[in-house]
Amino acid sequence: MSGIAVNVENLSKKFRVFHERRDSIFESIIGSVSRKKFYEYLNVLDDVTFSVNKGEMFGIIGKNGAGKSTLLKLISGIFESDKGKIVVNGKLIPLLSLGLGFQVDLTARTNVIQYGLLLGFEKKQILDKIDKIMQFAELEKFADTKLKNFSAGMYARLAFSTAMQVEPDILIIDEALSAGDVSFQQKAFDAINAFKANGKTVIVVTHDMNPVRQMCDRAIFLNNGKIEDIGEPEKVVNSYLNHFHQQ
Amino acid sequence: MTIRELWRKRTLISNFAITDLRIRYRNSIIGFFWTFLEPLLMLTVLYFVFTNIFETNIENFPLYILLGIIMYNMFSKGTIFGLNSMIARSTVLTHIYFPREIPAISGSITSFIMTVFELIIFGIFMMIFQFIPTETILVLPLIIALEFILIVGLSLPLSLFSIRYRDIQFIWTILIQIGFFLTPIFYKSDILPEFLQEILSYSPIFQIVNMAHDVTLYNTLPEIESVLKTVIVTGIIFGIGYGIFKKYQAKIIEEL
Repeated sequence: MSGIAVNVENLSKKFRVFHERRDSIFESIIGSVSRKKFYEYLNVLDDVTFSVNKGEMFGIIGKNGAGKSTLLKLISGIFESDKGKIVVNGKLIPLLSLGLGFQVDLTARTNVIQYGLLLGFEKKQILDKIDKIMQFAELEKFADTKLKNFSAGMYARLAFSTAMQVEPDILIIDEALSAGDVSFQQKAFDAINAFKANGKTVIVVTHDMNPVRQMCDRAIFLNNGKIEDIGEPEKVVNSYLNHFHQQ
Repeated sequence: MTIRELWRKRTLISNFAITDLRIRYRNSIIGFFWTFLEPLLMLTVLYFVFTNIFETNIENFPLYILLGIIMYNMFSKGTIFGLNSMIARSTVLTHIYFPREIPAISGSITSFIMTVFELIIFGIFMMIFQFIPTETILVLPLIIALEFILIVGLSLPLSLFSIRYRDIQFIWTILIQIGFFLTPIFYKSDILPEFLQEILSYSPIFQIVNMAHDVTLYNTLPEIESVLKTVIVTGIIFGIGYGIFKKYQAKIIEEL
């Protein structure tokens, strides 16, 4: 392995959990007078340290609410950490559970262009890629259809295909492929394998243990915001499953 | 975000702004021409309404009122676009990192583009009324630039805090409506009581509309005092607006 793709050091993140949601100025004024505590802090991530090597496929597993998605959002720069340090080497694409952040009232083409611009591409570079993206997603006929008329599968295909075609160095996948059908899932797995074979890095969050066992080089098991286990996928998956059985 | 970063993101910003315009006029048969037709129809209606209802001795009253409305519209549309800009792009903001100033800035640009269209229509009205502006009109772009900075300075905190407090948009809409009457759009500022004039002279939008009238229609350059007041207050609004935006943006984005 040559070098580190993502390095996470002593990462902590707290969230406010609201007992009553104050979403108007009026409520906040009333609330600040009554001085009742209306939220508490929840440690979503607590002193998490690990690193992902270049060319590695790295799995993150854990129960719902273990902090997996928060971790990915911190690595992607969408959230800011409270404590700790994150270093990312290379262009990173987060493909989160609901796609790439497409806007449903725009067409597929407009969304892809917007996404490319968000990533810092020149408009011409994206326009060169659009046909390939649509082809891989098998959506050539729907390039000018608004995404609100897309099915979940079409949406997932478009997002995945865009993420692959913009050629990131690091790809983050958070349960993003579950919406595609079997043939597309196979195509996606092949693409990810090819991507990895090119020395690119993949970080994957999933509840499906098979891909972790078969494809990942290493994995971590997150539990209540802490790393419970890290290392060989087989070992980590087992300690995750054992953890369930003990409860 | 520095000016240089802003410049590097210019394609993204203009793409956001143009997409917003497209969404506004989507599915319309005449599409792009709406951008002209909408201000044309609006200005025509307002012209008839105001010139027939109001007895006035304001020189070039139709042009006076149209220009005032255009200048105020830029302000109201710009801040309202800015206010909604982050909520409208919540999916984008929660899936990829990009400088969070961009939605508010592109909202301001959308309103700027619409204002340019409206000013073109205004030019047509000037021809209809056979009004020839003097060279003082060359100052108008500077006044618009100042208004743009004001809009950005307000849009930044509005875009952010309307995520947390959903009633801000209602409060702001009401303030915009009150502001319309406290701005010399269909009257001249000297009809106001002295004390009110004194207070309103610290309102940048009040001054901006006044100055626009003076340079476009009355061959009058703004007084140094008004310019200074406007620049300073706008600067303060921008500074505070950007400051609190910076301070709270990371926390509030998590609430999207």
